[in-house]
Amino acid sequence: MLDITSLSFNYGTVKVLDDITFSADKGECIGIIGPNGSGKSTLLKTLSKILKPTSGRVVICGKELERYTPKELARHMAVVPQDTNMDFDFTCLEVVLMGRNPHMGRFELEGRKDMDIALESMMLTNTWHLRERPFSELSGGERQRVIIARALAQEPSILFLDEPVSHLDINHQIEILDLVKRLKDERGLVVIVILHDLNLAARYCDRLILLSENRILATGSPEDVLIQENIRRAFGANVMVKKHPVTGYLYVTLLDVPGAAGPSNGRTVHLVCGAGTGTQLMYLLRSHGYNVTTGALNVLDSDYDTALQLGIPAVSEAPFSPITPEAYAQVVGLMKKADVIVISDVPFGWGNLKNLEAALASGRPVIMVEKNDINDFTNGSATAMVQKIRDNGGLTVKNGEELIENLEKKLLC
Amino acid sequence: MDKKLYRWAITLAVLFVLLLCVVVVATAVGPANISIDKVAMIIISDTVSKIPYLSDHMHITKTWTDGEAGIIMLVRLPRVILGLLVGATLSVAGVAAQATFKNPMADPYILGVSSGAAFGAAVVIDFGLSAVSVAIPMLVITLNFGALQLGAFIGGLAAAFLVLNIGRTGDKFPIETLLLAGIAISAFFSAMTSFLMYIGGHTLSQVVYWVMGALWNSSWNDIWLMLPMALIGSIIIFAFSRDLNTLLLGDEAASHLGTNVHLLKAGMMALMSLITAAAVSVSGIIGFVGLVTPHIMRLIVGPDHRILIPSSVLAGAMFLTLADTFSRIIIQPTEVPVGIITALIGAPFFIYLLSRKKKSVA
Repeated sequence: MLDITSLSFNYGTVKVLDDITFSADKGECIGIIGPNGSGKSTLLKTLSKILKPTSGRVVICGKELERYTPKELARHMAVVPQDTNMDFDFTCLEVVLMGRNPHMGRFELEGRKDMDIALESMMLTNTWHLRERPFSELSGGERQRVIIARALAQEPSILFLDEPVSHLDINHQIEILDLVKRLKDERGLVVIVILHDLNLAARYCDRLILLSENRILATGSPEDVLIQENIRRAFGANVMVKKHPVTGYLYVTLLDVPGAAGPSNGRTVHLVCGAGTGTQLMYLLRSHGYNVTTGALNVLDSDYDTALQLGIPAVSEAPFSPITPEAYAQVVGLMKKADVIVISDVPFGWGNLKNLEAALASGRPVIMVEKNDINDFTNGSATAMVQKIRDNGGLTVKNGEELIENLEKKLLC
Repeated sequence: MDKKLYRWAITLAVLFVLLLCVVVVATAVGPANISIDKVAMIIISDTVSKIPYLSDHMHITKTWTDGEAGIIMLVRLPRVILGLLVGATLSVAGVAAQATFKNPMADPYILGVSSGAAFGAAVVIDFGLSAVSVAIPMLVITLNFGALQLGAFIGGLAAAFLVLNIGRTGDKFPIETLLLAGIAISAFFSAMTSFLMYIGGHTLSQVVYWVMGALWNSSWNDIWLMLPMALIGSIIIFAFSRDLNTLLLGDEAASHLGTNVHLLKAGMMALMSLITAAAVSVSGIIGFVGLVTPHIMRLIVGPDHRILIPSSVLAGAMFLTLADTFSRIIIQPTEVPVGIITALIGAPFFIYLLSRKKKSVA
């Protein structure tokens, strides 16, 4: 359908696109992501013949791009821009019928067939009820749906969308992208969409192309492209990529830790956590410059994921297994190296009770972060151990801020 | 679709009937009191006498004097027809300008045609070339290219040409640079015209009259001079109606819909300058017709150029003819230049539009 081979574009002497190669097939949705100025919009403009590529080959439906007349190209390819503004009062139906232009002769009037196609397009995008309304009076989401209807009226095989949802509220973002996905599936369109939002890109695209500094940095499935390393190289940002527990889609969270680990203050904290209770603490400790170690954690624990993402050394244990003697030894080792041990309000069961034991055995100072009473599933053994830690001078704080305050008192003064 | 066509046809029919009424009234009104039925008979018999077959087989009893026939056929009718033509042409140019610039406030003079034409006219008047004229026999008629018309026509086109070349970047015509170039060139030519008027002394009033725009020297010759250019230019503009529609969505959107945007814009600006220069060369600078008419018609028929252009033709013709009739009778026995009348009607309307726009923005 669409084959692009070593496409380059220069503005004067400045390279804006450098050696772009990819292809797209029927029923495929390709997302183009990348930071501002990475060449996303230029790529779209060269593909829609608004800019002439400096070198390279673009083949659309078996024919080279430069051999298309504008009109012919418009019968194969439709473009939905970020936003459309108009000072003139065309009705929505008139706007959609403009999509029939490439199919009509110079003096031809819209016929029965054109009307039917417009009707169908507007039904699909749920805009038929807006047909007599002036386009300029619509809301952003409605306008975008009408523009998509216009694009469909062109009966294209390739649909380009240039940040189609950047100006919309989240409910409309989902609505528009769901619509695009449906159209792709039902009509076998090739969809190429430029998206700013990496989470939406991960959710809606079959394949992603990550542009950085005017070339393709990574391409493949969202799982392959949206990895920490790629995003750091393209955007210069630290992120955490996880599968969302509810939707199962990848999601990317921005972390504002400067640099990979942040400037260290030379102090080390070992964190005993689990079941998500440690995620915020790890991030908090890290962003205050502490070296953090953690464990033992089960491999499927969400805190373990976080530790991996943040590059925190963690002692791991097989999923749903109690802590083995080897892991226990490792934990004690880490704890002995730490200046302070912090215990989150993780529920304790027989499986992770060994972590408390290790904290006692290491003899390091302990701070416990307890929002609630201890969740003890060990018939009192955990509670007893916590009491022992308290007796040995272990502090209890209510939240993260207090923890940081106390750490500073203990370690830095 | 059929419903739309039907609506368009009705609109055009109504406008056409109104225009006919205006033409009849305009031809009948004047210092010499000639009744409407006489006017009609004079025109019909004159037409009949020019058609070879009919003139032999049809005889109309003459109920009028030769003087009356002369007033109608040589003074009033050419003036009315020229008014129709100029009004229609300026309106088409106005529609084209507003679409090309995607700005409802654009008018036919946006590219500096008027100031260039005024300069051309001033040169001719100042250097005493007005008397010069070149007669070129065409198929059935002889065209007299007066130096004044020629000077204005060339001046107008030259200004537009300069603006287009200054404002152009590569094969693109960015609106902002074109507007600025238009302002600069207009200022330059206006200064030159003022200079010529200043040193011209006794010719000053002539230039001033020309600049105000008037139809009082109209002759059939003027009509034949501008008609072909205005007609062909307008028809080509009309042929690109649907492309102009897409242009209103933005340049990129238009090209995504298969419109060759750069070519269209360049062509539109060339054509609109050509027909505007043609109109200006025979009538002087008549303002506001090309600005206001497309606006009023857009309110009535909507922005679709396929109906907007023909209805603006009829409405523009009507507007200028009415304004001209008014200018003839308002201070009898003298006349007011019609440009003053159109500006007096047009400017308040423009302010009204502006305030409406302000409200919609706020």
